[in-house]
Amino acid sequence: MALVTEKTVKKLYDHPLHHAHEAENILTKETDQVVNGSEAVILSLIEEGVDTIFGYPGGAIMPIYDALFHHRDQLNHVLVRHEQGATHAAEGYAQMAKKPGVCFATSGPGATNLITGIADAMLDSVPIVCITGQVAEPYLGTDAFQETDVMSLAMPITKWCYQVANPDEIPYIIAKAFFIARSGRPGPVLIDITKDAQFKEMSIPFTYEKRKQIKGYKPAHAPREKDISNAVELLNSAQRPFLFAGHGILLSEAQEELKTFVEKTGIPVASTLLGLSAFPSEHPLYVGMLGMHGNYGPNVLTNQADVIVAVGMRFDDRVTGNLERYAKQAKVIHIDIDHAEISKNVPATVGIIADAKAALVELTKQVETRKHDAWLAEFEKCYEEEYQKVIQHDFTAEAERIKMGEVIRLLSEKTNGEGVIVADVGQHQMASARYSKFNRTDSWLTSGGLGTMGYALPSALGAKMGAPDRDVYAIIGDGCFQMTIQELGTIAQTGQPVKIIIMNNNYLGMVRQWQQLFFDTRYSFVELANPDFITIAKGFGIEGHQCNHADDLAASIDKLINSEQSYLLEVMVEKEANVFPMVPSGAGVDQIRLE
Amino acid sequence: MKRRYTIIVFTENNFGLLNRITIIFSRRRTNIESLTVSDTERKGISRFTIVVDYDENKIQKLIQQIRKIIGVLFVFHNEDEQVFYGQIAYYKVATQNFAAREEVMAVAHRHQAKVVYSVDDYIIIEKTGKKEDIITMLHLLEPHGILEFVKSGRIALVKDQYRFSQYAKNIGPEGWYSDEEFHELKDPERTTGVSY
Repeated sequence: MALVTEKTVKKLYDHPLHHAHEAENILTKETDQVVNGSEAVILSLIEEGVDTIFGYPGGAIMPIYDALFHHRDQLNHVLVRHEQGATHAAEGYAQMAKKPGVCFATSGPGATNLITGIADAMLDSVPIVCITGQVAEPYLGTDAFQETDVMSLAMPITKWCYQVANPDEIPYIIAKAFFIARSGRPGPVLIDITKDAQFKEMSIPFTYEKRKQIKGYKPAHAPREKDISNAVELLNSAQRPFLFAGHGILLSEAQEELKTFVEKTGIPVASTLLGLSAFPSEHPLYVGMLGMHGNYGPNVLTNQADVIVAVGMRFDDRVTGNLERYAKQAKVIHIDIDHAEISKNVPATVGIIADAKAALVELTKQVETRKHDAWLAEFEKCYEEEYQKVIQHDFTAEAERIKMGEVIRLLSEKTNGEGVIVADVGQHQMASARYSKFNRTDSWLTSGGLGTMGYALPSALGAKMGAPDRDVYAIIGDGCFQMTIQELGTIAQTGQPVKIIIMNNNYLGMVRQWQQLFFDTRYSFVELANPDFITIAKGFGIEGHQCNHADDLAASIDKLINSEQSYLLEVMVEKEANVFPMVPSGAGVDQIRLE
Repeated sequence: MKRRYTIIVFTENNFGLLNRITIIFSRRRTNIESLTVSDTERKGISRFTIVVDYDENKIQKLIQQIRKIIGVLFVFHNEDEQVFYGQIAYYKVATQNFAAREEVMAVAHRHQAKVVYSVDDYIIIEKTGKKEDIITMLHLLEPHGILEFVKSGRIALVKDQYRFSQYAKNIGPEGWYSDEEFHELKDPERTTGVSY
């Protein structure tokens, strides 16, 4: 069906090859401007610059899929195998492509299957736009077939959601949704469109305007001068300053500004789990990762710093441990775009509500050039201790089975720290976070806030599609893998080369570790009898092999890296290895255990 | 320590906003004592008056979570002495005979309440005021037989006009702030001090 919007009509007239005899043609097309709701959805997405959609069709969204059929050359639709996979793929895509990911799902079970992924995107501030079909308006609230109250389900886990029952609203609402998803603190939005609104024709011609602002929502951008000068005053007199780099650095693309700032002020930088790869891990000022399984130095010395600069991070409980024992001596400068994060968990001495990039630029202008060598040496000392007690043991196999740390170290070495690491949730996630070296930014994706097992496989696919020139490595545990194993089918069908490493210890490792340490080794339902993953992958058309011995590891990883296609490497890792250091739950960061 | 707060929220008049706001309370396991929502003299803008008993150390965090809801124009909390507030109540009182009716009307009169409807066997009295006064009158009328009683949630005006105008100054007829002022407006109390 020919669809010509006002804009395209104008473009045709302006076109140098436009001939008068075509005018009649164009005029007849112009009457087609009246489109129905479904076409309005697709045209809006195209206008918004969307090129990839992850979705799953069904009854209530069929009109939209029909409209999509006519535009399949402009919009690449990826048919996932479960709607949860669509949300995670959209998350991976959004973070690599630096624009909102888009999901389609039908009403009822389609929509409820999105919920986990939406909640994940909410906690990790990932911009995704979910479009769900809904039963026709007259059936709303009548327990119709495949009807769920998606709005009420989505409300606590979305940044914004809206139900459309009038096709005229569609272009405006989609523009608003994209603006909300990507601006300020990004997050998921959901648009629920009734089936009759998809069928009905718009009563007005279709026009689309990208939004730059909307009523009742104005995200912070520039920092206030007074906050900046207060922060500068603290920084210039600080003796033991410490900077925490969070996900906000990546979201506002402030990597360079961060580097300039810390190089001027000489402040040591630690990263949160989601902030990894925002700052090069080989940089002399980089001291490691914060948090429950972070590095020893950053945790212990948090309680000795006099000024803490927290940029784009939210003092999650996995970072702070027991708040009563957390950084009581420090003055905290908290930079966050979300007002509600300032002083939520840790009281801020100076709260700067601003985009991280804007704030860092302003701070850099005013701070003095300084060095903190003695202070930095303390981190060095802590690292030495951690290396002796933990790290070196993580790199060498003691028994027959391989250590997770060794796999990650080798992968990092062989890829020169330039691959995109997509980690699932559990012990392998912590090993990946601790031992991956990042020489390139935007190289780390994981489910941090929600800790969604099964995140990595679909997310890795999305990441590969969002950044086709990058190599993507999904690091997945044997438990996690079986939560979204069906997405192997999606990967095979798209033909995208995704490299998968399964760290198989036949256990739900992290839960087993807790049971060992805190529940007297009562292993309550954590042992897995696993299927033959290689055969399964082969069934999906993905090659792979199992690595059983440390001696074969290097060759195995080479084979994975060099594969042109998707590849699955199953590494049999030590069954009962534990992740250390560890801040036990309820303990303070200074009570971190090395063994 | 828990204190009583009157939270005033101005929002766009959108679907689902009420739900979004109440979720903030329910996920923190907080009971809303009373909630009044109505449109305002400005087109497309609603006013919420929410009364809660809440921990004084945590109220600011709750307010900030309401503030970041899309469609919320501004929100701030007040303690009882910072607002002029009241409720409205209706009493349907049985009046068996003329003497009883006289007595009921006398009670109403003493409490600045008025009779708004009257039939043979009952009268309806309307009273505005603080909760305590409304309850006091209820007890006084009880011996006559209360057939039906209803009271509204609290509505409140901010006593300090300067403070209110700091929040409300740029709500135009369209409910829209100028760009420069919006950031500042989101919480004018920040200007008085940096730390919380």
